[in-house]
Amino acid sequence: MNGVFTQLRACMTQFFKSAQRELGLILAFFLLFPLGFLFFLSILVQPSFRPQILVGSIMMEVALININVLAQSVAQDKQSHFFDLWVSFPVSPLVYVLGNALPWLPVSLLTAGVTLAMGIYLFGISVAVAPLLLLVALVLIWSSTTGIGYLVAVYGGNPRQVNMLAQFVGIVMTFFAPIYYPVTALPLAAQYVAYAWPLTWGAILLKALFASNLTQAAIAILVLSLYTAAGYALIALGLRWRAK
Amino acid sequence: MRNGGGEAVLEARDLTKVYAPRRGQPPVHANRGISLTVHKGEVVAVLGPNGAGKSTFLRQVAGQLLPTSGTVRVCGIDVIASPLAAKRCMSVIPQECSPYDSLTVEEHVRYFGIIKGMDPRTAPGETSRLLSEVGLTEHRTKLIRELSGGLKRRVLIALALAGPGNQLLLLDEPTTGLDPASRRTVWKVIESLAGKGRGVLLTTHYIDEAEYLADRIVIIAQGRILAEGSPLEIQSRSASKGRLDIYDVDLLSAAAKAELDSLKGVWPVSFAREDHLRLAVPDPFSPEAVARLQGLSGLGVKATLAPASLEDAYLTIAGEMPET
Repeated sequence: MNGVFTQLRACMTQFFKSAQRELGLILAFFLLFPLGFLFFLSILVQPSFRPQILVGSIMMEVALININVLAQSVAQDKQSHFFDLWVSFPVSPLVYVLGNALPWLPVSLLTAGVTLAMGIYLFGISVAVAPLLLLVALVLIWSSTTGIGYLVAVYGGNPRQVNMLAQFVGIVMTFFAPIYYPVTALPLAAQYVAYAWPLTWGAILLKALFASNLTQAAIAILVLSLYTAAGYALIALGLRWRAK
Repeated sequence: MRNGGGEAVLEARDLTKVYAPRRGQPPVHANRGISLTVHKGEVVAVLGPNGAGKSTFLRQVAGQLLPTSGTVRVCGIDVIASPLAAKRCMSVIPQECSPYDSLTVEEHVRYFGIIKGMDPRTAPGETSRLLSEVGLTEHRTKLIRELSGGLKRRVLIALALAGPGNQLLLLDEPTTGLDPASRRTVWKVIESLAGKGRGVLLTTHYIDEAEYLADRIVIIAQGRILAEGSPLEIQSRSASKGRLDIYDVDLLSAAAKAELDSLKGVWPVSFAREDHLRLAVPDPFSPEAVARLQGLSGLGVKATLAPASLEDAYLTIAGEMPET
């Protein structure tokens, strides 16, 4: 029997084979967020807000794309009944979920890299973080939202409903998690709610890393690790994998 | 049975499935204690009307649906307690399942084969062998979206065969929606799989499919097994030895209707529809039966006399009317 990594590699390879045939669509998707970021920073935003907008854009590219893409991939599999086939394969549900989510991680990281480079070189935003540490942080932010994407898919019903639910979660998390503004801008009660979202902690982590605030970064890393562990545990335990 | 009485690859015992009541409705009993064994090299066909519990049973065996009670063992492994180990011994072809549009035939078998346990080093050769086995070699580089329904079914069969194990194949209505030629091809593949010692459990609505493929037929209705046996054993349970089918009943002349009414007094009606009537004939080769048929023909009635078939037995056992 092949191990988890061999299975994941096969998942990734089949995705990339498929992606080669949809390259235009993926490139358009890849360029969308950096272009949006460019638009915001060029036209609308005062220079003092730029670091916050940079954080918000990267969060969109890493976290929200993960939630959306994963939710819609799983929903599509459910619609085509390929999900039933996956359940009948000798694979862990975690392999299936990571097999769907992982191929998009390089796309998200590349997009985030382009946005970051634009922020630094076109708009002079100061980012004081080691590239490797930033990479680890982005992967952690990505993995902390994988469980949410799966939950949206398995509780969302058909692909249309999953799409709506993913958009709803995305909007709620974008506007009620302070990724585009400081958390202190929210009313006190809303701040407590905001701290329940992993996106809030992702934004805190990026801001802390950009400003070399390692204590705050460590706290955010701990919280995001807990979100990651909880999400993966739910998936690995087979939540909504076998029907009841 | 093709390979004699091999060891059991599937042992299902007292499987039930009860769905919780919704909004004042009573609970739904999809399965009510189904027990079934499938041996190596044996093809078992499950027949039953829509909603009989066939697919529910298959999904329980496949580990896709948890039973309310009962046990399922595949190759001796408990499917409920050790699903991953059990799934290494079986493959499933769901009733409605579309492979990925933007992958080729070959990519499906190769990469999903690796996911199912095929050795990555030998995967290219193994993929070629499987594609040849199901007659897909000439389509290997085609994208799924370029294939007909029959070819897509064959891709799913190849995918089911990929990887080690696969002692038990579960096929949920494998030929539904296929043209006659594609059905025959799928039948040949299923036959050859059983010939190689695999156990096959399939559900179907097609009596001819069950008759052609199955060593054993199981008839399910309302979540219960009503009958089980070889096609001949099942056929012997028909209500009569023969049948007289009368067509275009709604267009009959007055004289023909009168003749038909008198026939109904002699032979019981086994099935009736507005335009089609079937009478159970005790002996289709008796002089009386032949004379009655000739009498109807003389009145311009379209009618046929035939020995009872597996379908008659199925209708007798399941107590249902065939659909057209």
